[in-house]
Amino acid sequence: MGKLALGVYPGLVGSACYDFSLKLAAAAADKGHKVSIWYSGNATGSVKAHQKHLKDYSTAEKYLTALLEKGVEICTCEACTIARGIQKPEGIPGVQWNSMHWYLAAIHSADRVLHIGGE
Amino acid sequence: MNLGIFVSDYKLCVDTLDRIKADKLGIILVLNGVYHAVLKEDGKVSELLSKTPNLYALSEDLATRGFSPDQVDSRVKVVDYSGLVDVIFNDFEKVAWI
Repeated sequence: MGKLALGVYPGLVGSACYDFSLKLAAAAADKGHKVSIWYSGNATGSVKAHQKHLKDYSTAEKYLTALLEKGVEICTCEACTIARGIQKPEGIPGVQWNSMHWYLAAIHSADRVLHIGGE
Repeated sequence: MNLGIFVSDYKLCVDTLDRIKADKLGIILVLNGVYHAVLKEDGKVSELLSKTPNLYALSEDLATRGFSPDQVDSRVKVVDYSGLVDVIFNDFEKVAWI
């Protein structure tokens, strides 16, 4: 089995890339691979807990919690997240907060890296 | 280097691919990129399909856009997410997203 590091920058709303990364991470974890996800930029808006799921306004908490339970490591860029007015206590339990070196370490130890850029 | 390129868009990426050199190039069509595998413009298929014999398209994204596998160009291998994970780990050393 291998290690897959995902870097995800696009926001959850308005871009299908975020949704794609969730499904790819789940598929890889289900096949026994070790998966890490790093969130930067607008993707960090998704780590705030208890967001209201409106009709077509999706939120990620349910999916991120499921990935955490599969053993996927998820980390949000602390600077990007705070810059969007989200404080650590408001985060989804289990999602780590760290700075870019966490992502670099994940990349360095991974067998495959997929960096999904911003909008 | 064996390089797999994720193409997630239908319009904005063709020239980028022209500048990529790889020993073995793979093009992995996801999201709106799957349109390259099914649409014709002025009767011609996407020029992306002639850049490499290693072509893949994600079945979920085809289905989301109303296409069935039999509508896909025969050069393109249709994979699901599980198959895509195998492509990433087994067929290429590096992957990139454009």
